[in-house]
Amino acid sequence: MLEKYLKENRIQHIHRVESWEEAIKLAASPLLEDGVISQGYIKAMLESVELNGPYIVLKESFALPHAKAGEYVNEVGLSLLVIDEPIDLKGNPVKVFLVLAAVDNSSHLEALSKISELLMNEEVYQKFLAGNLEEIKKILYKGAE
Amino acid sequence: MYKFLAVCGFGVGSSLVLKMSIEKVAKEMGVECEVENTDLSSAKGLNADAIFTSQELGEELKTSTKSPVYPIKRYMDKEEVRNALGEFLS
Repeated sequence: MLEKYLKENRIQHIHRVESWEEAIKLAASPLLEDGVISQGYIKAMLESVELNGPYIVLKESFALPHAKAGEYVNEVGLSLLVIDEPIDLKGNPVKVFLVLAAVDNSSHLEALSKISELLMNEEVYQKFLAGNLEEIKKILYKGAE
Repeated sequence: MYKFLAVCGFGVGSSLVLKMSIEKVAKEMGVECEVENTDLSSAKGLNADAIFTSQELGEELKTSTKSPVYPIKRYMDKEEVRNALGEFLS
């Protein structure tokens, strides 16, 4: 079911970025191209970090940028960016950005729960950090085993 | 049965992950609880046995709720959530 929200074209790998703002923009760009979000959503995600602090860093090296459900969002979507060189997000080095676009409080629950389960598994998480997209897609679409 | 709140700025992303972490840890510790994830402004009007949220949002919540607030840095860090839950229970 993750392939429905985190489509192949929404999974990216890059060597380095200049700033966490650039990382979030780049990570979200496939959602923009697919018409899942409009430009305002990216701005809202960036503002949220400034306003609410870096709590979107959910574990070492992993961040979940998102903003309000249903504002500048047309449908549920996820996109992923893995960066080789950790980029500083207000004191937190981050390598994996998962952008979440939600339309309400519930329709993204299953997808987000599923991917969170994967990332909470240390062995699987190491594979995300390694940035091999083929490997990551396999895990996302076919499960950890 | 305790009632906990997991709070983030929007109540849809990070707080959901925090809710998952709390539920996992509570299960491991044998603590019966119901966890609701919500956004900052809704949380201000809700009562709970404990509220789990980030350092920054916690500071803001403390002034507007009587419920004890436990700051969590990494919402996915079960060890940190376990410590906070332990602190609540002690």
